[in-house]
Amino acid sequence: MLVMRSLSKVYRTHLVETHALRDFNLTVRDGEFVAVTGPSGSGKTTFLNIAGLLEEFTGGEYHLDSVDVRGLDDNARSRLRNEKIGFIFQGFNLIPDLNLFDNVDVPLRYRGLKSAERKKRIEHALTRVGLASRMRHYPAELSGGQQQRVAIARALAGEPKILLADEPTGNLDSLMARGVMELLEEINQQGTTIIMVTHDPEPAARAHRNVHIIDGQVTDLAGAPPLRNATEALVANG
Amino acid sequence: MKDVKPIFSALMRNKIGVALIVLQVAITLAVVCNSVFIILERAERVGKPSGMDEANTFLIGSGGFTRDYDIKGAIRQDLDLIRSLPGVVGATQTNSVPMSWGGWGTGIDTQPMDPNGERRAKGSAIYMGDEQAIEAFGLKLVEGRAFGPEDVMELTQESGITAKSIIVTEALAKALFPEGSAVGQQVYGIANDNGVVTIVGVVERMQKPWPTSRDVEFSTIVPLREGEGSGARYLIRTEPGMRDQLMKEVEAKLVAANPHRIVRDDRTIETVRLEAYRGDRAMMTILIAVMVALLIVTGAGIVGLASFWVTRRIKQIGTRRALGARRLNIRSYFQTENGLMIGMGIVLGVVMTYGFNIWLMQNYDAERLPWYYLPLGAAAVFALGQLAVLGPARRAAQVSPAVATRTA
Amino acid sequence: MLGYYFWLAARSLRRNAILTALMIAAIALGIGASMTSLTVLRAMSGNPLAHKDDVVRRPQVDNWAPARGWNQNDPNDLPNLFTYQDAKAFYDAQKAKYQAIMFPNVLSVEPANREVKPYMATVLFTHGDMFPMFDIPFLHGGGWSKAQDDGNARVAVLSRATSEKLFGAEDPIGRTVRLGGEDFAVVGVMNYWDPRPHFYEVSSGGFQTAEEIYLPFNLGIERELNSSANNNCWQDPGQGYEAWLASDCVWLAYWLELESASDADEYKAFIDAYVTEQKKLGRFPRPLNNQFHTVSSWLEGQRVVSRDVRTQAWMSAAFLIVCLINTIGLLLAKFMARASEIGLRRAVGASKRQIFAQYLTEAGVVGVAGALIGLVVTAGGLAGLRLLYGEDGGATGLLARLDTTMVIVTALVAIAASIAAGLYPTWRACGITPATQLKSN
Repeated sequence: MLVMRSLSKVYRTHLVETHALRDFNLTVRDGEFVAVTGPSGSGKTTFLNIAGLLEEFTGGEYHLDSVDVRGLDDNARSRLRNEKIGFIFQGFNLIPDLNLFDNVDVPLRYRGLKSAERKKRIEHALTRVGLASRMRHYPAELSGGQQQRVAIARALAGEPKILLADEPTGNLDSLMARGVMELLEEINQQGTTIIMVTHDPEPAARAHRNVHIIDGQVTDLAGAPPLRNATEALVANG
Repeated sequence: MKDVKPIFSALMRNKIGVALIVLQVAITLAVVCNSVFIILERAERVGKPSGMDEANTFLIGSGGFTRDYDIKGAIRQDLDLIRSLPGVVGATQTNSVPMSWGGWGTGIDTQPMDPNGERRAKGSAIYMGDEQAIEAFGLKLVEGRAFGPEDVMELTQESGITAKSIIVTEALAKALFPEGSAVGQQVYGIANDNGVVTIVGVVERMQKPWPTSRDVEFSTIVPLREGEGSGARYLIRTEPGMRDQLMKEVEAKLVAANPHRIVRDDRTIETVRLEAYRGDRAMMTILIAVMVALLIVTGAGIVGLASFWVTRRIKQIGTRRALGARRLNIRSYFQTENGLMIGMGIVLGVVMTYGFNIWLMQNYDAERLPWYYLPLGAAAVFALGQLAVLGPARRAAQVSPAVATRTA
Repeated sequence: MLGYYFWLAARSLRRNAILTALMIAAIALGIGASMTSLTVLRAMSGNPLAHKDDVVRRPQVDNWAPARGWNQNDPNDLPNLFTYQDAKAFYDAQKAKYQAIMFPNVLSVEPANREVKPYMATVLFTHGDMFPMFDIPFLHGGGWSKAQDDGNARVAVLSRATSEKLFGAEDPIGRTVRLGGEDFAVVGVMNYWDPRPHFYEVSSGGFQTAEEIYLPFNLGIERELNSSANNNCWQDPGQGYEAWLASDCVWLAYWLELESASDADEYKAFIDAYVTEQKKLGRFPRPLNNQFHTVSSWLEGQRVVSRDVRTQAWMSAAFLIVCLINTIGLLLAKFMARASEIGLRRAVGASKRQIFAQYLTEAGVVGVAGALIGLVVTAGGLAGLRLLYGEDGGATGLLARLDTTMVIVTALVAIAASIAAGLYPTWRACGITPATQLKSN
């Protein structure tokens, strides 16, 4: 599904060069649920931005669903993003002036679908996250957990191949967080690949695999051990 | 003063937004300064007295329609009739009046006219008038005497000007004879063939018919009456309050007395003034309207942009407050920021104002803008800016320090 | 897609109604002010003979005083009227296809119809060539011939309004009118003809109404008249009409039409030759600087478009620019405030082009609304001008009217201006990188 080889990303300002990612390698197979962990400043966000085609990378290769993304122009990237990727953000990022229906509608509008088709998908997506009854309500009327679920519905409505989630439970209390994670697991079981960036061990534990990033490089750990053990292993291996 | 530098650097991070306001302020300053200048210039012109008793005077015209119309008899008869009416203070036959934009002009000099036409003479308007000219025009005689009936000569193409005496305005008298009295002096430019006429009287003021003329106060009354043709114009002055009634009466009586002519074109001098300065007054109104609209638009633009910047920096403001800034400090931060921006606009605006003025001078014979317009205009524009930012600055000051700790 | 963008634009604009109203008002006012003065400016700058601009000509010669020019400040500003001698010399030479000398005056009219009171009418004394030269349309009959000119025939051409006043709806050809105590035979009635500007005689400002009655030039001389517009002398002409005619006083307009534009050089040479010869006789003391104007260069040189109108036009233009800059600023602020929404849309797959289209639509809605209201403001502004200047009096009041062309121009200018104003903010909007916006929460 997603293959990154020797990927590098360098930020240049007048005086400083920052290597956010260096010689980054990662392969994610179809249907996997991968958690990406790491201390702050390690490059997790950069990785997610690049994976989601939100940013360009400096060197290396990146193939998404067998498409080589290097050299794609803005239109092509946008289309790829629209069709293959779904985003879930820590801050939900719902548009406050639009109701839930119209919010979920946003990515579908850029797809060029007919109004009837869009309606069907939106209702389906909202039903899936359990909020179909509140379709005409506005984000401000919902709790944090509910808003995140709407965001998930928005991500799902486009029937993406891969979901990219950036600290999806970061702004939620533990009860709501659990609900969201259960939903994500369910979605993954139904076949969608999920890559989730988090530094909270609980969500990380639910993933099939944890990938640890330190200083812009991957330390891949197979299985789903608790994070503590993974760190010990790392230290042990030097 | 040290505080200003970081405020300035922060301000310059939004170069485009600042540039937009600076441009607006600059253009506003240029337009406002030049407009006010033009407005005041016109107001001064419009306010000048013509020298006549404008409220109580009117004109009426007569045009004969037979080829052998007896104009001399008609004028004598008409004037006798008009002067006999109760309420008429004075009446004369004349060729034009001040502010009417039509009339006669010539050069008057203390020496004979130069055969090469070199202009050394003073350009003066010429008004025809008889022994009641002073009363009819409502002028104030300050020296010498008015005309007597014996001074009045007939004017025909063949005769030319045979009058021997004239009355001039004080301004013209002083220009011709800076020392001593002009009464009794002889001048050239009126009589035929470089002959002389004698100044017998001086009136305080009387404008030329063309309000925009240089030396608009140089006028001469020559004792003449139409001797040929078929048209005559009478200027009639009445007792206060009787003008409108007498206008109707004179018209009716003239028509009745002589049916071989058309009585027409009765106009009050007040109407003459209205029409004469209509363009100037319109220009003033238009410029005022544009200026006011401009100030409102620029002011609103500043309010809008300032509000936006406040909103964008809410977190920053909260942080400052959390670190100890008082409400006053926040307000003054925004007012200083605004002041810097307006200041830049004023600097650019000064250049634009002069540029605009120079261009107006070259192409439209405008006058140079006096220097004091700029500081006054700048102060006005600055005040506008500070007023505009008052609301947003106050809103910024209300931001709670607790905002600093919230993440969303 | 466009429907979606309109829907989004409407929601966004409605949400911040005050800001939207301000932007629309600013555009409307700016458009209104500049279009109002542009309308007047355009009307004043008209050339009634544009289609004949290269062949209809007006010469200017400098017979002015040796010691001073007509205009102290501009040596190229020559006397704008002719002496009788010079005009007659040019006319008599008959070197052009058409030529006419003209001057205005006033005569009494005694209508045959007793119901109409006698009145004074404006008269233009001219030669018969004037009618074909100026393409004057006729309702009945036509102008008079050269033979009639030479024979001092008592013929008259009436304006349509005059004919209707005196003869109602009837064809008056052959009937008589009594002018200035004498009978004239009506040979022609003009159809509506009121050129703006009154290009052939501009010394009274240039926008007076066309004359009511047209009579042969020689009859005006016979009556020993001079111009009711402008008579100007640099030295005393002496007494009597004979002396007046022989003097160097200028009071006559002289117009001609060439066979074709290529004849211009030849006629100019003729003028130069005439002046040179007159110089030998002691006249024309000033340097040779004859001019041979087309109608457009004549109008320009005579500064027919008032200074005030031009100044107003520039002030309004400056105002429009400020309004547009204002709108750019407000739109920019508005769009940047929605950076996170833009970031989101980009994240879910909107391309830069689609964001551009969305925000340009929003700018466009403001623009179109501003344009429509601007049209109303323009109409109001013109009505205001008519009120201020008076519809009958000054040129501005007369010309302050919207015609179809100006309506279309106004609408186009407004929309173009608004889109131009919206371009920069929209460009900034679609440049927002999705990544930076989304993490700033």
